[in-house]
Amino acid sequence: MRVRFAAAIAVRSDSLDGYELLSLDEIEPVFLHRQQAKLLSLRRLLGYRAAGVNAWTGGKGERVVPPHEEDSGNEELYVVVRGRAAFTVGDETADAPAGTLVHVPPQTHRAAIADEEGTIVLAVGGTPGRAFEVHGWDDWAIADALRREGRPDDGRAVLTAAMEAERDSWALAYNTACWESLGGNADAAFELLRRALRLDEAEVRKWAKDDADLDPLRNDSRWRELFG
Amino acid sequence: MNIAHVDELDAIALPDGFVWRPVRRRFGIKAFGVNAYTPGESRQVVESHTEDQLEHEEIYLVLRGRVRFTVGDDDHELGPGQLVFVRDPQLRRGAVALTDDAAVLALGGKPGRPHEISAWETMFAAVPYAQADDWEEAIRIHEEGLAERPDDPALLYNLACMESRGGRHRDALLHLRRAVELEPKWAEHAVKDSDFDAIRDEQGFPAG
Repeated sequence: MRVRFAAAIAVRSDSLDGYELLSLDEIEPVFLHRQQAKLLSLRRLLGYRAAGVNAWTGGKGERVVPPHEEDSGNEELYVVVRGRAAFTVGDETADAPAGTLVHVPPQTHRAAIADEEGTIVLAVGGTPGRAFEVHGWDDWAIADALRREGRPDDGRAVLTAAMEAERDSWALAYNTACWESLGGNADAAFELLRRALRLDEAEVRKWAKDDADLDPLRNDSRWRELFG
Repeated sequence: MNIAHVDELDAIALPDGFVWRPVRRRFGIKAFGVNAYTPGESRQVVESHTEDQLEHEEIYLVLRGRVRFTVGDDDHELGPGQLVFVRDPQLRRGAVALTDDAAVLALGGKPGRPHEISAWETMFAAVPYAQADDWEEAIRIHEEGLAERPDDPALLYNLACMESRGGRHRDALLHLRRAVELEPKWAEHAVKDSDFDAIRDEQGFPAG
């Protein structure tokens, strides 16, 4: 049995005997630039594969659910594990002390702000009728945080490990291409885009069309070769 | 807003002494399994069980209080914000509450497969009505579950039990026969099951 109360950024390895223990308090929060919120990277740490599961943490006045809509058909459940948060879902607001559960259907705007220090909100998501797939938004976000700390090699290692674990995921290859594009590594980005296109051409074409992360690549001749 | 505190969820005391707090049913969640549990008379807060039938990966997160988990041969005392992730479905797991206020959130699903609503949720939801001899409501809950899982033998068998107890003998026989057709082992259970005393002598009752 491996008891791991460890840092979030470390890439996980398999437990040997079928279960693990984890304390949310011992996970190192990672500040995500785009979300302007602190993530506890639960899914990555556990290697959970049945649904999306992560947690957010923040002090009074900080985001514990970044404002967003789930546009991929995801339904989400938020659980206030500790502290207190003010939720906004659509046009409604609610005070949510610890032990509160909030369910949000897809395409509904949601956000939450911590009302107490040390607030933790668990977020669980999935798409009805579809098996959960790792798209790697969290791997990307952590790699982004590491690059902003001046640790691009560690960021790349996070994404590479995620792709190794999910070799058939077009989304992970695509998100890694985005990350390399933003880092100015066009060669790596194009190689990853080719890999992503081989895995799911339709999805990659759909997303690549308007994705600002790929803007640094659009004037390259290889872009025209791939996307016309 | 679809919002509820864990203490506002239904509290369904189950025969094993723990209290099921249905989360998935409350919100109509379809993408994953999620429920909460609080202790009942026996102090049990997570039923001792394996996931070898459903093959679910499960996370148990302590929301409140202190809880002693037993996973395989190991015991672990956990508090709020601590969790057990049981990846191996064969591993037996259960938990007892060490404090009265304990609450545990359980999250589960089978990797690589769209989530299917578990038959046990229907059976658990019907327990209070069966205990109160409200067979019509217990039957209605089973019919609702069967709409999601029309060929689930355990659900059909349980429905037949409720119908037999509720005086709907013809329906009971039909559903019992269908359960046995789908999974013959249910015939052996039916022979010994007192729920079927009212229809045991009917023509077509499955032989054990």
